[in-house]
Parts: sequence; structure tokens; C-alpha cells
Amino acid sequence: MSTPLIILIVVAIVLVLMYNSLVSKKNQVENIFASVDTQLKKRYDLIPNLVASVSKYMEHEKSILEEVTKLRADANKPNISDEQKIALDAKVSSALGSIMIAVENYPELKANENVMHLQNSLNEVEEQISAARRAYNQAVTDYNNAIEMIPTNFMAQAMNYQRKQVFEITEGERKNVNVKELFN
Amino acid sequence: MKNTSELTDFYYKTLYPVLQALEKERTQLKHRIVTVGVIYTVVVGFIAITLFSSFFNLDMIAFFAFAYFAGGGIIYKFLIKEYRSEFKQKVISPLINAIDENLNYTAHLHIDPLHFSRSKLFNSRVDRVSGNDYVNGKVDGINIQFSDFHAEKKHKDSKGRTSWSTIFQGLFIVSEFNKNFHGTTVVLPDTAQSTFGDLIGNWLQSNNLSRGELIKMDDPEFEREFVVYGSDQIEARYILSHTLMKKLLLYKKKTQQDVFVSFTSKNINLAIAYNKDLFEPSVFHSLLKYKIAMEYVQTLHLATGIVEELKLNTKLWSKL
Repeated sequence: MSTPLIILIVVAIVLVLMYNSLVSKKNQVENIFASVDTQLKKRYDLIPNLVASVSKYMEHEKSILEEVTKLRADANKPNISDEQKIALDAKVSSALGSIMIAVENYPELKANENVMHLQNSLNEVEEQISAARRAYNQAVTDYNNAIEMIPTNFMAQAMNYQRKQVFEITEGERKNVNVKELFN
Repeated sequence: MKNTSELTDFYYKTLYPVLQALEKERTQLKHRIVTVGVIYTVVVGFIAITLFSSFFNLDMIAFFAFAYFAGGGIIYKFLIKEYRSEFKQKVISPLINAIDENLNYTAHLHIDPLHFSRSKLFNSRVDRVSGNDYVNGKVDGINIQFSDFHAEKKHKDSKGRTSWSTIFQGLFIVSEFNKNFHGTTVVLPDTAQSTFGDLIGNWLQSNNLSRGELIKMDDPEFEREFVVYGSDQIEARYILSHTLMKKLLLYKKKTQQDVFVSFTSKNINLAIAYNKDLFEPSVFHSLLKYKIAMEYVQTLHLATGIVEELKLNTKLWSKL
């Protein structure tokens, strides 16, 4: 076999490997995003129940309850992009967080079995969402690295692959709650 | 559960009369071992000299040396047998009861080898297991069991001689885990990354075919110490939350040994590679020595402490 032919075959193999690795990274991102989405839906499904059980008591927090309901409606719209989903998730997380803190001010609510159940379910879903988010971020990081690093970046440009956005991990998720700070 | 200083108090105060009696026995035993050892060595030496004066080859010497050590080991075991069982009954057993009265102790049993193989921590074929000091029961309502465990693999060379190599020796702990999961997640000491550096180490890890998918964790310190493999990227992160990763790091620092952790069939399995038989009575050093006492107390506390340290007793909603 002639040398040019061997070189050609080696180059072809390298190109195919690069192409495949990029595609598998992109699919991994999509795959994990689907799981994130399922978990997010689980949480959205809990919202109407939560709003219904707390709205009777929470007169002062009407606006935030309305906001959560609106965010849920937005999230359930068809054809929203992944970026929009990520943005909505951040908003919902913070809104639900404020509701949970507000619940602490209403002894009747805190003692209510239904609310307690919801709170526990939400915590469980939060844990799972957090895990899914972290898995997604890792997959996106691998994907973004491949897109920007030599030599796969040339291939990625040719395939028109774009950088993807990661979920912002909130500080609250990273750190343990500091009780002292809560009272300051 | 009592803390280590309370346990040390218990060791020196409540167990003091027992320890004193055992201490007397130990010094007598030490003399006996030395005397028997000297006689044994002289006898074997004498036989060797008479044998080697008539014919002499290297294989013979090797065989003789082997027989000398094997025989010595058997005699030693026989001599300390009574003292050993008394020590376990009178010192280790009360210590375990002092830690938590819901724990049962059986000196001659070990953890079921099924738990060891199900943990998926060690991939090699296991041909022989041994162990002792089996403890089981509940700590803070969480099922836990642990024991000394030694798993070995058999090798045969071309001449048909068999030899054994250790797969794992140390403390093996199995406890209920506080989250629901279905797959397998394995956390191993990170040898590749620390030996070969990040780039090559990472590449080696991701191509480890005998394990599941490589799971990169988002805690740099944890990533330096451990490598995680699993069947599910999301589930592994659900199990290994940021808090649990921090706690495992602390736990590893406390043990100062290689720690292997896995999550399989609703359990957390921990293997701490001490590479020696634990909870054995000291023969040549005083039982009242602080260092010796601390070894018993700390190892026991470490084993039962996982429930508290890893917060296995905080049940999540899905487990209620």
C-alpha cells in the first residue's frame, strides 16, 4: 500500500472518531436534559396543590403565589427552548424558597399535615433536581470543552455546534444553611 | 452513642479489674511464648544441622524455613487461644455494648461473603474468605453490621504450586442507606489520577472497562481523593450530594486508610483497608497502654460512627 493512501486512511479514522465523540457528547447533554425536564415537571405538578393549601392563610404573600402559578403556566407552554427552561427553573426555585420561608410565619400552616407532606415531597424533588442539574452541568462542560479544545474545535465549527448554557448552582445548594446568618 | 473519650473512660474505669487480671495472664503468656519459642527454635535448628550435614540443597533450606515459620505460627495461635477468647469476651464485647446496647457481638463470625461480593467494590474473583468479630444491630434505628474481613485470591504457577494474594483485609461495614436508589455507585480511592496526573489519569479512568461509567463529581477535593463509577449519572449525584462528599472526605481523613465505598441494593458498603486483623489482643505490649487502648476504642467508634457521621439517620421523604 502506498504511503499517501495510509495517511488518508489514518486521517479518515481520526475524523470519524472526532465526529462520533462530538455527537455522543451532544447526545449525552440532550439525554440528561430530558431527565432534568422530568424532574422539573414533577415539581411543577406539586405547585397547584401547594398554592391551594397555603393561599387561604397567606394574605400578604398573594403576589408571590400568583408569580409561582404564572411561572408554572409559562413552563407548561409548548415549544419553549432549553435556555428558557433553565431560566424558569431558577425563578421557580427562588419563588418556592420564599414560600417555604413564609410558611414558617404561619403556625397553622406549619402544623398542617397536607402542607408538611407537600414540603417533604418538594424537598425530595429538589434533591433529585439538584442531582440532575449537576449531571447536566458536567455533560455540558464536557461538551463545551470538546467544542473549544484543539483538535475537536475545528470539527465542531464545521458541524455548527454551539456552546451550551449550564444551570447556575445556587449558593444555597453548595453550602449548609448557616443558622446564625438567618437571624442577622 | 458514646464518644471516644467516654469510651476511653469506660475502658480504663469499668474494665480496669478485668484488664488487670488479663494483664497478669498476658505477662505469664509472654514468658511461656518466649520459652516455647526458644525450645522450638533449638529443636528445629538441631534437626536442620543433622539433616544438612548429610545432604544440602537450596530447595531444602527454603522448605525448612517455610516449615519453621508455619509451625511457629500454629504453636503461637495454640498458645494464645485461651487468652484471645477471654480478651474478646471480657473486653471487646463489653466495649461494643457500651457503645450501643442494641449491638450484638459474635467473636468467631464474620460478615456474609455475599455482602462482600454484592458490594461490587472488588472485581477480582474471591477464592477464600475469613474474618471474625462480627457486630450487628441498630444504631439510632439504622441497621448496621460490620466485621473484620479478609478476602483472598488463589494463584497457581506453572509448577502447580498455589499461593494466595490478598484482595482486601480490614473492616467491612454494611449499613442501610437513607435514600432510595436502584443502580450501583462505587467510590474508590483515586490511584490513577494521583499517580499519572489529571489528563492521563482521567483518560485511564474513563477507559476502565471493568467498571461502570466514570462519573466526574463537582467537588475538586473529593475528585482528587476518589474516583466514582456508576450505572446512572444522575442517581450517583443524587446519592453523593455535596454534603455527603464532604462527610466522606472527613471520614477518610479520620481513618487514615484507603476507604472504598459503594451503594448497592439499598445499602451503603464501606471497606476500610487496615491490612491487618483488628480487635486482636496485644501480647507483647501492655493492655493498659494508652496507644493500645485507643486502637480498640477508635476503630470500634469509627465503625459504629458512620450512622452519625454520614447522617444516615436523617430519613428522607421517599424512605418514610
